[in-house]
Amino acid sequence: MNPSLARKLPLVLVAAVALCLPLVLRSPTYLHILILLYLYAYLTTSWNLVGGFAGVLPLGHAAFVGIGAYTSTILSLQYGISPWIGMLVGGVLSCIVGVIIGLPTFKMRGAYFALATIAFAEGIRVMFENIDYAGPFQINGPRGLQIPPLNTGLSSFMFATKEPYYYIILVMLAGVIAFTWFISRSKLGFYLVAGGEDPEAAQALGVNVARAKLIAMAMSSFLTAFAGTFWAQFTLYIHPKSVMSLDISFEIAFIALIGGRGSIAGPVLGALLLRPVSDFSRIYFGDKLPGLHLIIFGVVLILVMFYQPRGLQEPLTRIYNRAMRRIFGGRESA
Amino acid sequence: MLFIIEDTINGILMGSIYGLAALGLTLIFGVLKVINFAHGSLLMVGMYVAYWAVILTGLHPYVTLIIVIPVMFLFGYLLQDIIIKPIFKAEKDVREPITVIIVTTGVWYILDNLSLLVFGPQYRNIQDNPLRGKMLEFGDMMISVPKLWGFCAAIITAALVYLFLQKTRMGRAVRATSLDRDAASLQGINQYKIYNVTFGIGTAVAGVAGVAIVPFFNIFPSVGVLFDIKCFIIVVLGGLGSIGGALLGGMIVGVIESVGPQFMTATWTEAIVYGLFLVFLFLKPSGLFGVKYDW
Repeated sequence: MNPSLARKLPLVLVAAVALCLPLVLRSPTYLHILILLYLYAYLTTSWNLVGGFAGVLPLGHAAFVGIGAYTSTILSLQYGISPWIGMLVGGVLSCIVGVIIGLPTFKMRGAYFALATIAFAEGIRVMFENIDYAGPFQINGPRGLQIPPLNTGLSSFMFATKEPYYYIILVMLAGVIAFTWFISRSKLGFYLVAGGEDPEAAQALGVNVARAKLIAMAMSSFLTAFAGTFWAQFTLYIHPKSVMSLDISFEIAFIALIGGRGSIAGPVLGALLLRPVSDFSRIYFGDKLPGLHLIIFGVVLILVMFYQPRGLQEPLTRIYNRAMRRIFGGRESA
Repeated sequence: MLFIIEDTINGILMGSIYGLAALGLTLIFGVLKVINFAHGSLLMVGMYVAYWAVILTGLHPYVTLIIVIPVMFLFGYLLQDIIIKPIFKAEKDVREPITVIIVTTGVWYILDNLSLLVFGPQYRNIQDNPLRGKMLEFGDMMISVPKLWGFCAAIITAALVYLFLQKTRMGRAVRATSLDRDAASLQGINQYKIYNVTFGIGTAVAGVAGVAIVPFFNIFPSVGVLFDIKCFIIVVLGGLGSIGGALLGGMIVGVIESVGPQFMTATWTEAIVYGLFLVFLFLKPSGLFGVKYDW
């Protein structure tokens, strides 16, 4: 068997397992946990486009989640437009906001950039909390919007069971991973990595670092908004604290950093490791040991930064490659 | 009109306490060039230390300073020495140690949730404390006494920190390290010891702020988050690394928060503060008094 093809075999296997899982796993609780896992993997992979490849630390992605959620919800509640179309509209709006945020902030460095993105996201959240009506659109301030589950079905993006949500988010996740893979091999991807590693050197070689980062930000905010629409349709109730809180922004960044930012496997690995910790510690210790999962997050984050600053994907990829080589033979490839 | 004056005075008093809370952050940034995301949590720890000192020993809230300051100094010193220093050493050549920011975020999560685990989520305040709700009356104006004391504490602490930096041998070493850590090392200054001391002092100042806040505020595990982002805004407004800037930035935020509600819904003032922060970030990232840094 061709070794490079054999190395892809486990990926096919993982995909097959993911596809068949709902047939075996009938418990809605576990499906719910899996859906949130995929959702966070999706969010983190989108974040990774700008936070990973471009080497900056955006901490305000919750704003894009919120914009996506609110746009599709307002459109479907007040104008009866299908959330699928609202999803695209939300993506475009969020993309515009992302570019507006990115234009001035990408000139800043490190900590200043992180602080500016926090301020933007929190500012947007405060605005949503204070506005009841923005022109003809009802936002409802801190009370949020409720989506009455009237007509279920694919066109209204509403289902009585969790399985359809599972497959939708799975497809979205697969799509965004493929997209990231494509970007990482494109010219833009190399520009981003070069600009993230050493902006001066990249600029000296003629790379327009600011422009590359802006494009990455536009794509990232566009894709993040989709997750917002999914979230709104999944929970059927949104309010600024639920879809725009700083905690979401930080959790995304945590997952990416622990999994390994700037890699394709990192965000998925991070979500795979951290989401179950968070869910199960809340299920089993939520009453006696509140906040335990966040302590674990913090400890794991610090340990990873100590010993594997490039994230957990690095040692795991190495182990994976070695195992594949032992099984199928062939020479080392990256 | 009287309302405006009263609100302005109260805003300045509360703002100076914000400034006091931000003072440690600006000090740590000035020397380590790192934004300490765990600063709000350090404030929270300071508040809990003060609270338990009052409850267990029955001291007057302000006398607990004799316990809070050494405890917090030691806490900050060890935190920096054990957790942050190794990362610094690993990233010695990086101009902006972004990994350190991430680690401080981890510390923030651990501290906040540890206190949730240990002390529980309930809001605590010091019962039968002599300062609670005490007011000074000037004609029709009411001025909160604990906030007035907080104002005094802010001014005195800022002056002491300033004197320490300007007049003592250690202070001079701290300033030298903040200007250029490599050149300072060449003069025989142990930069990591300076970092430890600076972090310790910054944490102790957060402890002082905690003591100033405890008499009129509730204590709960996530109280730091309330002050955290405010502190970031304040230090950027005033100029990262500037002591006077932190106080002035705090007062600006305090006045906006207390005068603003006369003209609009109180929650909008938060949006105004964020807006002001962004304007400063874009137009004058060095802040009111900050030195121009190369970004």
